[in-house]
Amino acid sequence: MSLLDRFRRTSNVADPLVTALQHALAPDRVRNDGAERSLASHDASVFEGGVSGPVCFPTSTDEVQRITRIAVEHDRGIVPRGAGTGLAGGAIPLGAPIVVSTGKMNRILEVDIENRVAWVQPGVINLDLSRHLRPRGFHFAPDPSSQQVCTLGGNIANNSGGPHCLAYGVTDAHVLAIEVVLPNGDVVLLGGLDPEPGGYDLRGAFVGSEGTLGIATRIAVRLTKNPPAVRTLLLSFAETRDAAQTVSAIIAAGIVPAALEVMDQRMTVAVENYVAAGYPTDAAAVLLAEVEGLPAGVEIEADRIAEIGRANNATGVRQAASDEERALLWKGRKTAFGAVAQVAPDYYLHDTVVPRAALADMLEKIYEICERHDVIVMNVFHAGDGNLHPLLVFDARVEGTLERVHAAGAEIVRASLDAGGVLSGEHGIGVEKQGYMDELFSDADLDHQNRLRQAFDPTCRANPGKVLPMGHSCADIQALRAVPTGVWG
Amino acid sequence: MDLKLDADELNACVQCGLCMPHCPTFRVTGDETLSPRGRIRLMREVHEHDAPMTAEVVDAFATCVQCRGCEPACPSGVNYGHLIETTRETLTRAGKLTPRWTRLGFFALAHPRLLRAGSSVLAVAGRLRLVPKRFGVPRDLPLRRRRHHTSGTDVYLFTGCVMDAWQRDVHQAGQRVIEAAGFGVTPTGSLSPCCGALQAHAGFTDDARRRATATIAALSEDDRPILVDSAGCGAAMKDYGHLLATPEAEAFSARVFDIQEWLAERIDRLPAVDPLPMCVAVQDPCHLRHVQRVHLATRTVLQPFVRRIIELDDDGLCCGAGGAYSVMQPELAGEIRDRKIRAIDDVDPDVVASANPGCSMHLAAAGVNIEHPMVLIDRALQGTASAGGR
Repeated sequence: MSLLDRFRRTSNVADPLVTALQHALAPDRVRNDGAERSLASHDASVFEGGVSGPVCFPTSTDEVQRITRIAVEHDRGIVPRGAGTGLAGGAIPLGAPIVVSTGKMNRILEVDIENRVAWVQPGVINLDLSRHLRPRGFHFAPDPSSQQVCTLGGNIANNSGGPHCLAYGVTDAHVLAIEVVLPNGDVVLLGGLDPEPGGYDLRGAFVGSEGTLGIATRIAVRLTKNPPAVRTLLLSFAETRDAAQTVSAIIAAGIVPAALEVMDQRMTVAVENYVAAGYPTDAAAVLLAEVEGLPAGVEIEADRIAEIGRANNATGVRQAASDEERALLWKGRKTAFGAVAQVAPDYYLHDTVVPRAALADMLEKIYEICERHDVIVMNVFHAGDGNLHPLLVFDARVEGTLERVHAAGAEIVRASLDAGGVLSGEHGIGVEKQGYMDELFSDADLDHQNRLRQAFDPTCRANPGKVLPMGHSCADIQALRAVPTGVWG
Repeated sequence: MDLKLDADELNACVQCGLCMPHCPTFRVTGDETLSPRGRIRLMREVHEHDAPMTAEVVDAFATCVQCRGCEPACPSGVNYGHLIETTRETLTRAGKLTPRWTRLGFFALAHPRLLRAGSSVLAVAGRLRLVPKRFGVPRDLPLRRRRHHTSGTDVYLFTGCVMDAWQRDVHQAGQRVIEAAGFGVTPTGSLSPCCGALQAHAGFTDDARRRATATIAALSEDDRPILVDSAGCGAAMKDYGHLLATPEAEAFSARVFDIQEWLAERIDRLPAVDPLPMCVAVQDPCHLRHVQRVHLATRTVLQPFVRRIIELDDDGLCCGAGGAYSVMQPELAGEIRDRKIRAIDDVDPDVVASANPGCSMHLAAAGVNIEHPMVLIDRALQGTASAGGR
């Protein structure tokens, strides 16, 4: 016991919900104090307005089931939470639901190299799994930029992508089976280890459901063999348009690189300032291209990419000479979002996807929109699949800024949809993009999505108030519940 | 409550969360109130929105090991060290954090005779098994210490407080190595009894400033380099410029080097000898790796003197020692240590090398065979290849 524990004051007195949860888990694994609830009401997005109920730290399927049954009994919502690195507010609790943290469900349960499957708990950190597999020559292919901290449970909830998903496919392609605690407390296994499990693909419905269909408690993921050879190229351009055109040309040439990532100048400067990887800070845009496979093949593809780049006015082409150099370039790309605080303390970003051919025009449009709204924009995106991440950076303390940022964001989304794009590539809808759903889907589309949700969760207990816009989601009584929140809100 | 934080430093965090896996207390608990991002948000809530300083909030700040592993992980360069030190200073002043009686212990640090007398009592008590194990005090503290001797005036070797009382053999090994490279060494001994690092850690920043001022005054007769073989002390002394915010302090900090950092530049001056027949795992002290960021020097200086160097695959995560942390937060410190020990067991070394007295005592208390890199080099130079640990 720490010396300070003697001064600890418990704020968990006499709330029957908290008492029941503590009885079901253990007193120290249910927290109802203001500090814990305040942190649980935020993620990495700018969304304010979350209100968290008690925060639970279960360790097993059984405990998640007990929590869910208590939620039913006390008519409370229930929201799963991984690392809280989401950018669309998906993990932000609305209406003081019980928050189920997977922070203590972080064990790799079984690795079966022969069948290329691992069973994991949902709180396992994405990169920890790949590190664990490294000595045996395997990894988990989806590699979101936040992979050093984000959890596999969160990856499934958002059907997360990552730079290397261009070649390997997003999370959905790497999840075989999921054990789920449904919102009524039943435990089911969705999917299976067979290549073609019979029946409806409910696993497919669950992946990307953002916590609205239940809580994953055990996950069977597919393991991917590490490639025998990797080549990483860094191309720089004097015009952003040339970078976008190079991307289209590479794909049109029939090459499917493992990754094709673009950063514009503002982003490159911030990133280089942190990693010192030798990114050219005078280029209008840089393209990070990676090819994987057998040594002879990657040489040919790398040469082809360099050639295509030069034909599209690349001002510089550099190939990473060592694994260290390669790692440093990727470290820069993957910490891009975090590096924006060098410019301003807040950022708001969209995650729209446009057809590759529309990339160059779309980028110009984004710059034009942001200039008109007097908002600084930094671009970093999965160019290979046309997945944009314009980061609108600002200081929320300056009066009126947030309004301008939202207005610019809304225009960017509309322009993307007009270009034949979709709302979200990988970050999910959460609360942030909910309002745009009816611009992408018809009423009939949304009603049928809602029916699927209700089949899993007729009372809207699971992550209430998310994904489907009001009017198309089941009443969402949970979200409207008025709950006294105390001094810590 | 005004935490006296710098608004710009506080707002440099965009809450992306990339720091969290590099935080030992978050790693072992999965609890965001015990993560850097969480602690910074709590600072904001308290400092900017006047949220109450509840026991849980105090606990969030009290449980930080101050390893600063979050800093190199932060793409926005948030200066977490300044934020947490200032927060702890404010809380200590307000009587909310470190109990006042612990100041007594810190008083002893700056008074070498008192400290040595106390250490000898502890050494006897330890041998009689009278010291509770959870205090993490080694059972075999030296009963007496060999006197320091000055061999020249090329460099100072900073000897500090607890380390000089408990691990003087490490200083003396380091001195022999530096002498073998052809330099004359002045051990600072009672000239400069304590750097103030532990005080700053605990939030007694005024005491730390007094120690810093005294240290600078004592060692500024000329501008020779000051070598430090304790990563925690070295980090603190390199930060005097910030702590005191004076040009003298800046100039002093520029003279401070970790002993390995300094030796790495002069490694060619050491004679070639048979390497020790051992595989050595390097455990980087946080204040060497995350704060001073000179941990690669450990490899450079050790490499010629041991058979093989092995890296731990844990991203340099803290071992849980953290100055007095292992005494103040024994439970968390133990869990963090268990994680480190698993990483050590994974690579199965003959001996672990760690350049900080706190880390080595904390790990040795759990049965890890651990030595200061200087001791290993000294042993190789002496040609005594015995594998004994402390």
